[in-house]
Amino acid sequence: MLDIIDAAQAVVDGVLFGATYAIIGIGFTLIFGVMHKINMSYAAASIGGAYGSLILLQFVDAPVLAVFLAAGFCGGVIGIIVYYACFRFLPLNNPLATLMSTVGMLMLIDETISHVTTGVPLQYPAMFSNVTIDIGQFFLRGDLVFTFVLACLATVALLLLLYRTKMGIATRAVSQQQVAAQLCGIGINRVNALTFLVTGVLGGLAGALIGASIGILSPMLVLPLTVKGLIVTVIGGLGSIPGAIIAGLMVGAAENIFQFFRGVSERDIYVMLLLFAFLVFRPGGIFAPPQGRD
Amino acid sequence: MIDMMKSRAGSLSSALAGAMVAMALAATPASAQERTITIPGFGAKSGVLRIFGVNSEAAMNAAAEKINNEGGVKLGDGATGKFAIEYLDDRCVAEEGISVVRRIASGSAFIAVGPTCSNVAESLFGILQKKVGDASDTGLQFPIIADVAAKGGLAKISDWSFRNVPSEYEMYKTLFGWLRENHPELTKVYGGVEKDFAHSNATFGVMKKHAAAEGFELVGETEWLLADTNFSNQVRGMRRAEPEVVLVSAHPFTTCGVLKEMARQRVKPKVLVGLTSSSSIETMQGCPAEAEGIIIPTGFAPVNDEARAAAEAVAAFGGSADIHSMAAYEIMFMLKEVIETQGIVGLPETVAEDRLKMRDGLAALKRADGLLGELGRTDEGEAIKPFLFVHAQDGEWKVLHDPEN
Repeated sequence: MLDIIDAAQAVVDGVLFGATYAIIGIGFTLIFGVMHKINMSYAAASIGGAYGSLILLQFVDAPVLAVFLAAGFCGGVIGIIVYYACFRFLPLNNPLATLMSTVGMLMLIDETISHVTTGVPLQYPAMFSNVTIDIGQFFLRGDLVFTFVLACLATVALLLLLYRTKMGIATRAVSQQQVAAQLCGIGINRVNALTFLVTGVLGGLAGALIGASIGILSPMLVLPLTVKGLIVTVIGGLGSIPGAIIAGLMVGAAENIFQFFRGVSERDIYVMLLLFAFLVFRPGGIFAPPQGRD
Repeated sequence: MIDMMKSRAGSLSSALAGAMVAMALAATPASAQERTITIPGFGAKSGVLRIFGVNSEAAMNAAAEKINNEGGVKLGDGATGKFAIEYLDDRCVAEEGISVVRRIASGSAFIAVGPTCSNVAESLFGILQKKVGDASDTGLQFPIIADVAAKGGLAKISDWSFRNVPSEYEMYKTLFGWLRENHPELTKVYGGVEKDFAHSNATFGVMKKHAAAEGFELVGETEWLLADTNFSNQVRGMRRAEPEVVLVSAHPFTTCGVLKEMARQRVKPKVLVGLTSSSSIETMQGCPAEAEGIIIPTGFAPVNDEARAAAEAVAAFGGSADIHSMAAYEIMFMLKEVIETQGIVGLPETVAEDRLKMRDGLAALKRADGLLGELGRTDEGEAIKPFLFVHAQDGEWKVLHDPEN
């Protein structure tokens, strides 16, 4: 009985933590949807945004929400920098150009963080970190529930932006049919830049939520988060936001349940096998978006 | 004609004067000469372990400055050597460590200090000549002395490898003996280990062995990986076991992660024991509140004037003094002693014999002065170092117990 309870607890914890993977996945998938290119530096930029928010704490004793907002702001700034450095002036018809430029940017951000902080983990503020919600044998971490709720709100805000605003219409138009969008007078470069800004803000917030969930920030977070983000993006379906959400929660839960049953040494093997299973049996992902007329 | 003769005489006297000056300069005793002796260090100076390289470099520079200010080192030809440090990055990758050392060995250095990571040390020591003087062994003949790489038993891989790393076997043996003496009521131990890091994995075995030898019962163990961020499964198992003593054989990032999860799940053992590498500023910056009371054996603490002065000197170079960096500090003084006793000259044309002299000197150096007391050396090249126990208190590492006193 205890095993069932522990397994259920593992799933619940995984789903709550998976909300952060979902946001990272949304960022990857949104950029792919608009530009049909993968931004390998997205997770690094998210963590960079979280680190940037710590600068605020150097000067003022800010409330936690303000720090999260600062992380979003820093993430947005880094997003714009990534766009102009890795996409704007590169030949987009060359499949490797932006891939390699974003890999280089990932390493640059990672090493910058390592150099500035000398790799020392830094405490990151969290809300409700001392709160636990006890339901019989289960308990829910207050900070993870808050993280989950905030991630959901951020996702809703993003969906409202995409489906209720002109900018959102333009973004969707560019992602569906660039040429037609251009013919309608939509500036492709402007839309791309705004997409990077919005996903950067989202990524910074995700970085803050991850830092808050763990309690510390470290450059060690960059590469594992990049891998998880890519897995979520592929499983969810490249370009599908609902897919990224479901996949993020699924990967978070799967990770924890694999670890519960098979231990930490085999956990990642099974996560990769899950990815391979999707690539073989459902390569388009959970919610493969409809193909365009091109 | 006379003018020509006068002109020739003038030229001749100028030439003679110049020759006399040159002869005078050439005849200047070597003892009045000073030259730079570059001591290369290497370790992780990039990536997540960068702090180790930064600290080691700072410690080597601090020690070099002290030695230079006190007159430098007497070289074998009577000249005075002033130390200069050159620190190279191996990124905690074995292949890069080997590449770095080969690069160092292709120059005129006669010793290298490093590396940071045990996986690098293990591979690196493996490419050295196993037995000195073995003509059939074409391994690298270059002495290396490690300051940080802490996995047990590495120095015996080669006659050219040495370490100034405290014996974790002895440290944890003494620690568990002390725990048994001071906490006779405690019996149940639960262990957690960072499974994919050589040092933490090896030390966990040492911890368990000595805990069992002192009558502690291992009621469970769990594991995680170096970059893990979610420890709910692991700590849940820990909570169910209701341990009295918890062992955390992990570096600061995951140590803090586990301790924070333990706080969330209200796992409060009576005693917490940590890994030597976690007795550092990183743990105090990452989780000072959660780490309160954790006990760790260490080879350095600023418990006397010399240690305090050394710590300040290292801080002035941008590093922090801990068990690892101060081993590098001590090494510099050991090198000074060996250079002087072995008559190392430190010139490019003497590099081969200088390396052999350095190797022989380090092997023969059975006693040296350390910051906490006398340092010894085993026949296998390992260090015998004094140590003490520190515990985290109010965000600082404070001495809990000195086994020597």
